[in-house]
Amino acid sequence: MFCSEKKLLEVERKVKANDREYNEKFQYADNRIHTSKYNILTFLPINLFEQFQRVANAYFLFLLILQLIPEISSLTWFTTIVPLVLVITMTAVKDATDDCFRHKSDNQVNNRQSEVLIDGKLQNEKWMNVKVGDIIKLENNQFVAADLLLLSSSEPHGLCYIETAELDGETNLKVRHALAVTSELGADISRLAKFDGPDTKLMQNSGKTKFKRTSIDRLMNTLVLWIFGFLVCLGIILAIGNSIWEKQVGDQFRSFLFWKEGEKNSVFSGFLTFWSYIIILNTVVPISLYVSVEVIRLGHSYFINWDRKMYYSGKATPAEARTTTLNEELGQIEYVFSDKTGTLTQNIMTFKKCSINGRIYGEVQDDLGQKTDITKKKEPVDFSVNSQAERTFQFFDHNLMEAIKLGDPKVHEFLRLLALCHTVMSEENSAGQLIYQVQSPDEGALVTAARNFGFTFKSRTPETITIEELGTLVTYQLLAFLDFNNIRKRMSVIVRNPKGQIKLYSKGADTILFEKLHPSNEDLLTLTSDHLSEFAGEGLRTLAIAYRDLDDKYFKEWHKMLEDANTATDERDERIAGLYEEIERDLMLLGATAVEDKLQEGVIETVTSLSLANIKIWVLTGDKQETAINIGYACNMLTDDMNDVFIIAGNTAAEVREELRKAKENLFGQNRSFSNGRVVFEKKQQLELASVVEETITGDYALVINGHSLAHALESDVKNDLLELACMCKTVVCCRVTPLQKAQVVELVKKYRNAVTLAIGDGANDVSMIKCAHIGVGISGQEGLQAVLASDYSFAQFRYLQRLLLVHGRWSYFRMCKFLCYFFYKNFAFTLVHFWFGFFCGFSAQTVYDQWFITLFNIVYTSLPVLAMGIFDQDVNDQNSMDYPQLYQPGQLNLLFNKRKFLICMAHGIYTSLALFFIPYGAFYNAAGEDGQHLADYQSFAVTMATSLVIVVSVQIALDTSYWTVVNHVFIWGSIATYFSILFTMHSNGIFAIFPNQFPFVGNARHSLTQKCIWLVILLTTVASVMPVVAFRFLKVDLFPTLSDQLRQRQKAQKKARPLHSRRPQTRRSSSRRSGYAFAHQEGYGELITSGKNMRAKNLPPTSGLEKTLYNSTSWIENLCKKTTDTVSSFSQDKTVKL
Amino acid sequence: MKRTPQDCPSRLPENTAVKQQQLPACRLQLSATGILSGFFATGVFCLGMGVILILSAKSSTEIEINYTKICASCAKLRENARNFDKECTCSIPFHLTQTMRGNVYMYYKLYGFYQNLHGYLLSRSNSQLLGTDVKDVETCAPFSKSHDGTPIAPCGAIANSLFNDTIILSYKLNSSVHIQVPMLRSGITWWTDKYVKFRNPSSSNLSSAFAGTTKPPSWPKPVYELDENDPGNNGFLNDDFIVWMRTAAFPTFKKLYRRLSRTQHFIEGLPAGNYSFNVSYNFPVTRFQGEKSVVLSTLTWSGGHSLFLGLAYTVTGAMTWLAAFSMMAVHLKLKGKRFSPDDKVKL
Repeated sequence: MFCSEKKLLEVERKVKANDREYNEKFQYADNRIHTSKYNILTFLPINLFEQFQRVANAYFLFLLILQLIPEISSLTWFTTIVPLVLVITMTAVKDATDDCFRHKSDNQVNNRQSEVLIDGKLQNEKWMNVKVGDIIKLENNQFVAADLLLLSSSEPHGLCYIETAELDGETNLKVRHALAVTSELGADISRLAKFDGPDTKLMQNSGKTKFKRTSIDRLMNTLVLWIFGFLVCLGIILAIGNSIWEKQVGDQFRSFLFWKEGEKNSVFSGFLTFWSYIIILNTVVPISLYVSVEVIRLGHSYFINWDRKMYYSGKATPAEARTTTLNEELGQIEYVFSDKTGTLTQNIMTFKKCSINGRIYGEVQDDLGQKTDITKKKEPVDFSVNSQAERTFQFFDHNLMEAIKLGDPKVHEFLRLLALCHTVMSEENSAGQLIYQVQSPDEGALVTAARNFGFTFKSRTPETITIEELGTLVTYQLLAFLDFNNIRKRMSVIVRNPKGQIKLYSKGADTILFEKLHPSNEDLLTLTSDHLSEFAGEGLRTLAIAYRDLDDKYFKEWHKMLEDANTATDERDERIAGLYEEIERDLMLLGATAVEDKLQEGVIETVTSLSLANIKIWVLTGDKQETAINIGYACNMLTDDMNDVFIIAGNTAAEVREELRKAKENLFGQNRSFSNGRVVFEKKQQLELASVVEETITGDYALVINGHSLAHALESDVKNDLLELACMCKTVVCCRVTPLQKAQVVELVKKYRNAVTLAIGDGANDVSMIKCAHIGVGISGQEGLQAVLASDYSFAQFRYLQRLLLVHGRWSYFRMCKFLCYFFYKNFAFTLVHFWFGFFCGFSAQTVYDQWFITLFNIVYTSLPVLAMGIFDQDVNDQNSMDYPQLYQPGQLNLLFNKRKFLICMAHGIYTSLALFFIPYGAFYNAAGEDGQHLADYQSFAVTMATSLVIVVSVQIALDTSYWTVVNHVFIWGSIATYFSILFTMHSNGIFAIFPNQFPFVGNARHSLTQKCIWLVILLTTVASVMPVVAFRFLKVDLFPTLSDQLRQRQKAQKKARPLHSRRPQTRRSSSRRSGYAFAHQEGYGELITSGKNMRAKNLPPTSGLEKTLYNSTSWIENLCKKTTDTVSSFSQDKTVKL
Repeated sequence: MKRTPQDCPSRLPENTAVKQQQLPACRLQLSATGILSGFFATGVFCLGMGVILILSAKSSTEIEINYTKICASCAKLRENARNFDKECTCSIPFHLTQTMRGNVYMYYKLYGFYQNLHGYLLSRSNSQLLGTDVKDVETCAPFSKSHDGTPIAPCGAIANSLFNDTIILSYKLNSSVHIQVPMLRSGITWWTDKYVKFRNPSSSNLSSAFAGTTKPPSWPKPVYELDENDPGNNGFLNDDFIVWMRTAAFPTFKKLYRRLSRTQHFIEGLPAGNYSFNVSYNFPVTRFQGEKSVVLSTLTWSGGHSLFLGLAYTVTGAMTWLAAFSMMAVHLKLKGKRFSPDDKVKL
């Protein structure tokens, strides 16, 4: 079974246990975990190779090479190499630190100790040295760092319980058993290493880590390509200009200037000019763009890490941005895919209420008899008299305790049933405390509740159950165990009490159990039924409880038939099922229980707020449909106000298709019928239409889909129907889905809706979905680390998602967009003057500015103010961001930076470059200095242009910055000051005396900047480039104010007298009746109990023979295996090996 | 592995303004009145400045005499490079109807001369001109060395193409007496150029300082003999040379040639009357279809005679006002029926 699953990779593995020499022949991988990328020697070459694979870096390298060709070099080499080296060094340092951490964590895992049988002796060995075929001895609570085959264990029958929290996040124990042959061999758990190192299931399951990029990244790449095309166009225009100029003017002029050496073919000259201009104009996309984007994202990531409002003190876990390159995408999320257990819910079940014999216990009433919230201060029931009580259990209704004390027989029977009818195993720890090993937390909650109320389940053997009833030990004989399964939705036990009465105790789904009741229960039934509705309305998980008295003779007959059925060869299961039906009838209703699947804190508020922000939340859970729906109601995703909840639960493709079709008909039918016709078009059209149709749908709908159905629905022809339907629903719940299906659903939405998705989960079963979504969020602070390790962001509580998206995400997006707009504007303004100048300098690729200015402009003069804006800017504060979730929508609609915005920025830049060039040009045309001296020389022109540019872009950033912190002030004014000080330094006599060839601008700043005329030019340029923008923005805000504009105005107005009104979404709860059966239960445990296989040998009483004959010794294990295949296959579908 | 809150109190992020993004800040939110008054103020300023600039430009006078065509015979002669050593002078008479008051500056102006060509701009050696190393001609291609390998001083295309016309302005005092208008050649260069950027190599006399170098190919005389009258005006420190070496930004440019020495008849400036330029025509502009002219100009407080800035300011001012008025109109019209934020922000 194990080897066959490896088929894809190798047909079979031959392993001789404990024979290293033999196994070495096959060269299996060793057990070293290896996730790091570099070592000291390979770092430099590999890292450089990787870095130059990035388009941007390669492009700049290409430019550098171009610049080294003297014929076309229009800029000196340092203009490119200085920033390039800076960038590459920074990235390399970052990569190196990342890899250091990986080395560390690898070492930690690799150096864990294990005991290996070598040369007949147990020796301590590091896990990394374990080889395939080694026999390993494991003890209780040890880590396992390889795939192992269980040979034998100290538990009876070679059983062992494993926790797979690091794999799937589930903390309950799973049973594994050794092969019968090997289980006889040893006393302690010993195992055979099967797959090692990179072959282990974990490593194979981890999937490929895809490099995630944000949509802004992709847009940026497109734009860079556009810009490059634009540059080529400009280059071609200038090259043609050059050819023409050379032909008409240049020929003669050049030959005049340069004599013979000036002779050149005009076309060839044009060709060279093209490359020269490509070099000059490349500053539109400077390297600093990429660096700045990374720096800004890093800054935003740190803000996430530092946010105290996302710090969970309960687990001392701060939020963590594990990927630092995705922040602005957090502001564009349209779909959230959430896991349920551990994410929405705490996976803690608490016994909340019960209805016994028509009376509700557990409701807290104040003096007037009104129901109040439990949150109000109220004394919990004191269980201290009961030594066995579980201390964490709290119950607020004292009436139940009184009823017990008064000896109400129904109440006693109810609690007795809870203590008897279950599959819990008990065990005493060293302190003598009872510990329950529960297989479903629901049952645990019920048994614990019974225990606290004085009906303590003590121990069990295959034939007996011992409980302590209000201080007296009572042993019941377990006569039959009618196990749970999905169809029956109930479980029963038949016991004989010490008085010799035979009783059948049953608990199960109300819908099922109510049909089995004795007619005399009618009144009670209606009463209990009302109670159940009430419980369900509060989102509690309910079970109905009933019993039946059996007479000896009837039972004996029935038991005989059951034995027959068991030994029958054909239709065994059907016959047994029939017999179960037969005895589970005429039940007497006792009442109902209500267990709360505790939601994480703030889930309801978060869900409400996110849906106000137009974020659609899909729940993808491995749980059952009922549980999932229940949770949907509990956290307000499903409400009774909804027009319809479609449930797709078909088992075949045809059924699913039919159900989908019906649901759609229903959806459109309730609106207008014309849309029905519209959607029967071709599929592609359908998808486009979907958004149109979406608008026409009124009312709320929800879709619940089952894992089996999903498998069919994900097939290509139904996929679109599913997607269309799902996207029109407000809420989508997918239950019983495998990890792979989770990823498929995410992929579906990602691919066909073109929407930005976020997946949030806590367990290893969410890893695939987390990796697949644009953004993966892991819930940290739990046992399993897999989800967190695969995630991009992690925090401890689901509710922090609200702050992450609405505050951090929104700000990040807002800032990044502003940054990009400004950056492109700035560089267009900066670079395009070269183009205009080309027309006046014979297209000779002469730059307008000094080379030093070109080198420093983007990295020194203008980088910091825009970085400060990109890191600190806020349009509205965080409180308003949370209060008005609608503010999130511009991000989803991609309004702040898109191709249109880019074109506007570009036009703005082009306009500025025109003003920047032509105003000085006009002014210099026939000008002279105040002392009559030359003013219109190239160097003065360069200084004037550079100064105007720096001032114009600084004024522009000052206008763009909406949140002026100290940092912004320092950076903006500092940048201008830096510009002037560097300018004067570079134009000073001293530096010229040392490097006359590098700094030929000596005295220029001093001379030019003392001329009134120059300042008049600078002033006019600034006014002319800034005023139109201000006017435009003023009109835009005045005519079409956005929500954030309005809020900003209001924020300003209310700044002084402003009590913070925090808006809490109302939590409405429905009160409709739902079948609340929720039993996270696996079939087969009943057999395990009755066969006694999971009980210690010393506890085994002499077998009475009654049960022995029921099951042959191996059948239970086969059944267990068979029945767990459902859940097993879910995992193995994901990848290959299942242990 | 398990952490309790007490173990790691340091995991709680610090409560500082920067980390919590709560830095005290002022939000830039310009009110309508602020913006509108800003616009009006800017408009007033620009209009005022424009008017002032236009008026002052009008108050100055400028005469430009294009002598490319007037000295046609000389131009023809210069078209052939082989005639470089033949002298050619021509005289251009003109009449000044109004006295040019104040300081008068004489410029030469070239049309279609691209001093801003990339290759041209680079073809100079600053270290040579600084006098530290006369033989440093590395960056001067194609005029770094003569055919026999001697380094050229001053090297490079800029120096080689030095403007070498001599222009003498003479004033017709009466019908028979022409006097030469006294002109100063000092003070026509930037101070930093004359005293920092250009230095002669140190040596007892100039010709020995330039020993081992040769003159640029277009030059008739070596650099140390540029000014025979004034020995201090030779070598790299020749004023005309320095002015030429400060390359112009655009293909049409004027460079300061001489300034009026306000003595004798010219204390007030240039009196009205008949004048003539006596040009020794050396610079062959017709070879590249260029033109050249002489400009006489007075200055204003802001420098040369240029209407552009004044006009540009006026236009900008007018536009700003126009924008301000239309913005005000829009704003006032909307004011009545604007949504209050609460109407739209429904929650």
